Amino acid sequence: MDIQLKRGLLDVCVLAAIKDEDSYGYQIIKDMKPYVEISESTLYPILRRLEGAELLTVRNAEHNGRLRKYYHITPLGLARIEEFKEEWKELLSIYEFVTKEGVRNEEE
Amino acid sequence: MKKNEFLSELRERLTGLSEADLNRSLDYYTEMIDDRMEDGIPEDEAVAEVGTPAVIAEEILKEMPLAKLMKARVKPKRKMTVWEVVLLVLGSPLWLSLLITLFAAVLSLYIALWSVVISLWAVELALAGTALVGVVALPVSLIQGNVWAGIALLGAGIFAAGLCMFGFYGCLYVTKGACLLGKKLFLFVKRCFIRKEAVR
Repeated sequence: MDIQLKRGLLDVCVLAAIKDEDSYGYQIIKDMKPYVEISESTLYPILRRLEGAELLTVRNAEHNGRLRKYYHITPLGLARIEEFKEEWKELLSIYEFVTKEGVRNEEE
Repeated sequence: MKKNEFLSELRERLTGLSEADLNRSLDYYTEMIDDRMEDGIPEDEAVAEVGTPAVIAEEILKEMPLAKLMKARVKPKRKMTVWEVVLLVLGSPLWLSLLITLFAAVLSLYIALWSVVISLWAVELALAGTALVGVVALPVSLIQGNVWAGIALLGAGIFAAGLCMFGFYGCLYVTKGACLLGKKLFLFVKRCFIRKEAVR
């Protein structure tokens, strides 16, 4: 898949993974796995970028005697997901047009 | 590979990064390995699943802004001795000019690339202009009573219009190529800084 496109999609996927409740790195990867494979080294810059853009915030929480980073979605992050859904509708109608058999059939 | 080996190798490969950046990266990968082990995956396997330090370090360095990266790479790993400082200062006419030359060379490459693109678009614009003039010239020539000149100009105009349409796609293609090449050039410069580290 086109790298730029996939990059943008992964951003939204990560946001979706923390949409309902805060999550941590490994959990995000596990949750995404059935749908899209993502490696640690790919996830890392995405999290940094999303944090920089204030789409999510990070907090440290103790877990089994060590610190774990939990990611929390911001209103801006939720808005990004909604934006994506709207964009997707447009893409779907383009897809429909591209895959349709016989563009002119209905007119004739 | 054990977790500690992994972390110290990663630290080694990322030396020069600011303490905050370094710790953030190390914390992230520590957590990833710990979480895997907690999930019941043996240490060696957990480390292997996360990736090799070489690949991870390159990934991290590639994401860094160029300015930050250069600062990180240029920073010496140990304190310089007085003599080294003196030599560095005395040698500045040499290495400074070499460095400037290198930058100038890369910059001129970049400018040359875009000059080609700009000149192509200029030709394209000129063709469009010719086409327009050709069309306008016909009625003007007719009024002046010079029918043949008008037709010749119209012909030239149509010819230019055809070339213009044809050339448009060529220009678009070249511009896209130039964008890509520019990006590659930029990445190449970045890579020079990363590679230097890997070879050492």
